[in-house]
Amino acid sequence: MADFIKHPVVELPERDPEPSVPADRLFFSEEEKARIATYVSRYPTADGAIMRALWLAQEKFGWLPPEVIRLTADTVGIPYSQAYGVATFYSQYYKRKMGTHVLDVCTCFSCQVCGGYDMLHHLEKKLGIRKGETTPDGRFTIQEVECLGACGSAPMMQVTNGPYVMNLTEEKLDTLVDALQEGRMPPFASVTLPQDQDEMGGNRRSDAPSQEIYQAPPVSQTIR
Amino acid sequence: MSVSNGSVSKAGDWRSYQRVLLPPVKDLHKLEVYEQHGGYASLRKALTDPAWTPQAVTEEVKKSGLKGRGGAGFPTGLKWTFMPPVNPDVPRFLCCNGDESEPGTFKDRQLMEYNPHLVFEGMILASYAMSVKTSYLYVRGEYADWISHMERELEKLYAKGYVGKNIMGTGFSTDLVIHKGAGAYICGEESSLMESLEGKRAYPRSKPPFPAQRGIWGYPTTINNVETLACVPLILEKGGDWYAKIGAEKHPGPVLYGISGHVNRPGVYEYPTGMLISDLIYEVCGGIRGGKKLKALVPGGSSTPVLRADMIDGVTMDADGLRAAGSMMGTAGMLVLDEDTDMVSFLRRITHFYHHESCGQCTPCREGTGWLENIVTRIDEGEGNLRDLDLLLDLCSQMEGRTVCALADAAAWPVRYTVERFRSEFEARCRPSLVSVPETAALPA
Repeated sequence: MADFIKHPVVELPERDPEPSVPADRLFFSEEEKARIATYVSRYPTADGAIMRALWLAQEKFGWLPPEVIRLTADTVGIPYSQAYGVATFYSQYYKRKMGTHVLDVCTCFSCQVCGGYDMLHHLEKKLGIRKGETTPDGRFTIQEVECLGACGSAPMMQVTNGPYVMNLTEEKLDTLVDALQEGRMPPFASVTLPQDQDEMGGNRRSDAPSQEIYQAPPVSQTIR
Repeated sequence: MSVSNGSVSKAGDWRSYQRVLLPPVKDLHKLEVYEQHGGYASLRKALTDPAWTPQAVTEEVKKSGLKGRGGAGFPTGLKWTFMPPVNPDVPRFLCCNGDESEPGTFKDRQLMEYNPHLVFEGMILASYAMSVKTSYLYVRGEYADWISHMERELEKLYAKGYVGKNIMGTGFSTDLVIHKGAGAYICGEESSLMESLEGKRAYPRSKPPFPAQRGIWGYPTTINNVETLACVPLILEKGGDWYAKIGAEKHPGPVLYGISGHVNRPGVYEYPTGMLISDLIYEVCGGIRGGKKLKALVPGGSSTPVLRADMIDGVTMDADGLRAAGSMMGTAGMLVLDEDTDMVSFLRRITHFYHHESCGQCTPCREGTGWLENIVTRIDEGEGNLRDLDLLLDLCSQMEGRTVCALADAAAWPVRYTVERFRSEFEARCRPSLVSVPETAALPA
């Protein structure tokens, strides 16, 4: 029966990993420090600002190795242990080095029954890696993620904690990977409400870079 | 093509319903457009008209019968009165819960994108009603694009003097901060949302004390959903009586139905509460994809009990209607499943979700969600035994109500009700239990 236990309950991190950010790059600029100070000023105690500060650190360093968490904790002014606890609790903070582009494919609930796994498997085949892995050239990481809150546009995915790509098809994935290879991020897409389509003849935003409409989802070939 | 059997919708003449949460106005998300269409008039009225004391605002919200739209459906006005009397030395807080992580729920994001000022105005009005000096809008980290979108609009709002010090030249001041989460389902639970705001791991707290007594940083706090607070300016503008007359009598108001799954036209629709489920599927959403038959329906996000197709006849989308049918309103994030859906694999993915998202604080949930996933996986792989089904139900009983927050219940309900309501499908997937029978029979009496 033991082979049914597929996930260890706790994955213990390495105790003293080699620092991956060299000491001469391990600092925040004055501008970044000022931004963190603004975050701190929004809360009664400095603690509240740690989540935004960690976001800033992740954007700067790409992921959150222990030395970056320590630097962030010191800048915000809270204990390292608390910042480490926060950084390891939330799934969007990267605890290991990721590819340049992280492809988070949603396969949860609505996306599962509307072809989310087909999209995941197509990406895995295309990039030659499995979910959770990074391509050898360090460009792409594929992750299977939980509900991203765009269930009406299933299947969908998110690129590196940024733009959503909705109503996925295999062709759309191919185009997306090609664009990312050339360094072009997908634009923000505003999804037109069906009632807007009927009453206003289209999307209500004049400033949305690109627009999508809700579509009947595809039939799932695989659901796991 | 309706299958409603002549049953009565509580939503009245919904076909001619005029939207109020997301009215059809081009570029409504821009402050200038929002103001042109009567935006911030409710706030101005509340702040400048001496008749609109904070108590009067709360009373109007009470009168409207507004119930929380985040899942639990608690009366909003009543929740506001739980705040202790104002003490100038003790700060008080308001949190707007925009975590929206329940699978199947994607309605709040439409408000954030298309009508953010309605949410801001609702937050400022609620702050006024409860004399709150700082309010936080907690948005899940995945909505990064919508957070920057809202922060741009919030900056304009500060520049205009509609939030911050001495709003609209009156003596009332309140700050509004958008807090960006980082990916944790549990943060939608109000007490873990508070922990998360305090910059901690989002472990839920035991209640009591309730947030109104000891909330963020130990101070009185009220937590409301995005859609709930977006109703507040409308209630002040048009009156609590107007609101109370929309939709189902005991659960009134407009609702954003987020419909996903196997329908021809999924999406977020604004209609009154009390819509017939059959109207929503067959008329609003244009029926089931490919002309298939309905098999099952999850009415309000993944944790609400699943309904079989034969259970939805004449059922309306409001708290009473769904309770009578054996489910819950939840967040009105409805998932429609057609006849080809494999319920065992479907349940397997749900149990995986709750296993992944259990925060790990309470043992029944941390271990229980893992075992639910393991057992459902075993059945799904064709290696399960019939007794596993009863083991699952037993495990659910061991989890429900035995943890600090409701995540264990939310994880157990889909398992309990999917197994109970689709038992034959689960049994067909299990190995026949013929081997053990002779052994049992050979035991001495």
